[in-house]
Amino acid sequence: MHRIRRLSAALTVAGVVGVAAPAVAGATSLVTISGATSSYPLVSLLAAKYVKLHPHKIRFKIAQGGTTVGINDVKAGSVTIADVAQEPTSADADLDFYPIAKYAICVVTNKANTLANLTSAQVSAIFTGKDSSWSQIPGASASGPIEVFTRTSVAGVLTSFKSLLLEGKSVVKSATEEATEGLMRQAVENAPGGIGFLSNYQADKGGLNSVSYNGVACNKTTAASGQYAGVSVFFEVTKGPASGGAAAFIHWIDQSGAAKKIIASQWVPIG
Amino acid sequence: MSAVAVHSGRTRGRRSSPMSWRWSDRLALAAAWLAGLSLCLIAAAIVLYMGYRGIQYLRPGMIFERPQVSADQAGSGGFLDPLLGTIVVSAIGIAIAMPLAVASAVWITEYGQGGRVSRSLARVVESSIEIVAGTPDIVIAIFGLAVFQLPLLAPLSFQAEGGGVFGRSFIAAGAMMSLLALPPLYAATRDGLQAVPAQMREAAFALGKTRITTVRRVLLPSVRSNIATGTTLGISRIVGSTAIVLILLGSTLRIETQGAVPVVNLLRGTGSSLTTYVYENSPAGEGAAPEKAYAAAFVLLVLVLALNVAIERLGRGRRDVVSSVI
Amino acid sequence: MLERLKRPWPDHRAERTLGAVSLLVGVVIVAMIAFVAVRSWPIFQHNGLRWLGGGGDFEAEIARMNAATAHPTAADYQLRAWPLLYGTLLSTAIAVVLGIAIAVLASVFIVELAPRRVSRVVIPVVRLLASVPSVIYGLIGILVLVPFVGNHLVSEGDRRSVLGVVQLTGAGLAPTVAILTVMITPIMIALVCEALEAVPPSWKEGAVALGLNPLRAVRAVTLKAIRPAIVAAAVLATARALGEAVMIQMVSGGKTFAPNLDHGVPVFLFEPLRTLASAILDFREGIGSPSLKAAVYSFSLLLLLSAFVLSVGGYLVKLPLRRYQARA
Repeated sequence: MHRIRRLSAALTVAGVVGVAAPAVAGATSLVTISGATSSYPLVSLLAAKYVKLHPHKIRFKIAQGGTTVGINDVKAGSVTIADVAQEPTSADADLDFYPIAKYAICVVTNKANTLANLTSAQVSAIFTGKDSSWSQIPGASASGPIEVFTRTSVAGVLTSFKSLLLEGKSVVKSATEEATEGLMRQAVENAPGGIGFLSNYQADKGGLNSVSYNGVACNKTTAASGQYAGVSVFFEVTKGPASGGAAAFIHWIDQSGAAKKIIASQWVPIG
Repeated sequence: MSAVAVHSGRTRGRRSSPMSWRWSDRLALAAAWLAGLSLCLIAAAIVLYMGYRGIQYLRPGMIFERPQVSADQAGSGGFLDPLLGTIVVSAIGIAIAMPLAVASAVWITEYGQGGRVSRSLARVVESSIEIVAGTPDIVIAIFGLAVFQLPLLAPLSFQAEGGGVFGRSFIAAGAMMSLLALPPLYAATRDGLQAVPAQMREAAFALGKTRITTVRRVLLPSVRSNIATGTTLGISRIVGSTAIVLILLGSTLRIETQGAVPVVNLLRGTGSSLTTYVYENSPAGEGAAPEKAYAAAFVLLVLVLALNVAIERLGRGRRDVVSSVI
Repeated sequence: MLERLKRPWPDHRAERTLGAVSLLVGVVIVAMIAFVAVRSWPIFQHNGLRWLGGGGDFEAEIARMNAATAHPTAADYQLRAWPLLYGTLLSTAIAVVLGIAIAVLASVFIVELAPRRVSRVVIPVVRLLASVPSVIYGLIGILVLVPFVGNHLVSEGDRRSVLGVVQLTGAGLAPTVAILTVMITPIMIALVCEALEAVPPSWKEGAVALGLNPLRAVRAVTLKAIRPAIVAAAVLATARALGEAVMIQMVSGGKTFAPNLDHGVPVFLFEPLRTLASAILDFREGIGSPSLKAAVYSFSLLLLLSAFVLSVGGYLVKLPLRRYQARA
């Protein structure tokens, strides 16, 4: 009697495990993403739409951390796709970059500061620390020392900003580093003498003064037409060619009308 | 005369008026009053401000709506998933902590008083629990990450394509939360067991019961309210913890299950808690929706206050074991 | 088999099972120290103990670690984390000193001076403050205190005086220490109150009989008698302050900078800082990079060891308390 009970208990456990294991293995495919905070809103929206259109086939786990973190994660195999907000470098030879949208990098100041335009020389001078007071900047209604906000070193937007709008120079060491775009926006919104840089999606949210660069305003239209100088690309990056669920997702972003609608709402479509 | 227990502050008798004191004493008096009252003021300010902001931003529907992914976080969705996440993590934490805490308390009070070996082992266990109590949340979280990212424990979260174990799931967070709840539960149970008078045990032994049966049938039922108090203390510690959830729960806005087996997929899944929801919506996270942060923080504060009241009620209603026997 | 499990166990089996379960906690502690130490070894290997010192550019070192590949070179492990240690020690020390002063005063108020009705209100208030989650303290800090400091307390002159060195945004030492003090004081009050009530009333009555006024009697006699309790409370509060990560990360300004007294007092208080615990939170997402992972684990190791030392210290300090049968 006891032996039968023992046997049946063992069989039940084996049965549960036996059923569970293949069930777990053959479940919906899981795509993990990490990387840029600037493309996170876009990728989240795209992923949500994709899941809605293909229910029970795929799931996404989207983390952030910054472009460099994403690249490291995808190289190490911890994630399937990396969100990247900067151009590929020589170190990324074994990675495949798939562009999904373009974005403009806007220089922003506090709303109370009605600075309308900055030349490239002025932008360089401000962000490298050469000009440290608002009185040195004609057209600025703020006064006092300039508070420069920048991004942490892992940010793709920072890398793109430096190469496109800062002539390759480095931001002044005393600048306050913010870890995400949201934090950068908060910081400039709360500092009357603040200045920083954001993707156009964040800059357009209101609450900040977007500054023209060399006379060209920073928005979707000027970015699409090529007038605005500071335009960079959001990439989805995989280690080697994308495969499986990741490939289907990236292909869908490239081809489907729904994806294009999402991209066009706040960002600049590729091509 | 000395047998009368008199509260030292109440034996004033003929009081000397502060007007006759030295300046330094008067200053000290003022400082003491200031300290006491400013604490009250700060507490009132916190509660009133959170209440004001909460009422301003909390729509009752938010508690039952799921969070929405949208470009404009401020307008959409509620925080049902984070609230559920808090509940699930607390449940897992207590489920793991309770057997551990009760077993340790029973062992130390009933079996750990014996020979030299068991007494030194008892001291080891007591010190370990004290060390766990003193360990910062964030170190426990990092330790949890180290453990659950071992390839051996991959089934407890999931394994990414390239072989990296994710290491973050409800079971990971819950297991580490149990370390938070363990010390208060253990202390409450141990105090309760120590307060049970020897007569109850001796009566059971006289009836021929073994020690373990006495524990099961006599002692544990009589310390039920202590265990309840300890559990509530543990839950309030778990509910208030942010660091462990930030690091170990995978930070997905909604609860995402992992796999197909019904309960197991929740354990392996990721999610968020009320505390991380407040954090992520504050200017320290994405900062996109301070209104949501205030609303969720208000709910969190109400929850913690309710737990506090529960602790006090349970403590007061505790059956005084001594008086019930004599 | 199941039948045998359901029958009451003999005592020796029960004892051994319960003992094994209890010792699991000890195993967890050992595992904690082992795991964290092993994973932080690369930092010690490449820096020796010099990583605790200064002289390097911390932010650049972290940037380098983030950019390092899966096979880091020796240079990728370079770390000089003194600013973190300094920030931790500074914020903790100030908060604990302030906290002890306020806690002792408030405890004397609750136990000795306040009328019963007022005590009955203040005690639940203290318990409330102790149970508010740290994220709510952080929320109020970052939404109320930091803008207040940044917009109303920091003057333009202050900002100019550190131009080019660091920016004063309001988030920094002042809000951090203020909120940290509020967080740790209730814990100390609970301990000190218990100790005050355990002091035999005859001691104070003797002092009053000799002509001291009640408050002076407390100062002369009772406070000296509860010195071990004050130290135990300070140890407990220090442990709590060291481990505070979330609140500090929200209000400390997130810049690895060592607040410099040479800049003068108000400016010194407004400068940003970073502590070990807040650094762990800040870098948690970059933990995929092996060198940054080792760095984060080494910060955890420091915190773990200090918690350990404080636990032992706390135990040693509580021994004299047994004299007064005060449960601490």
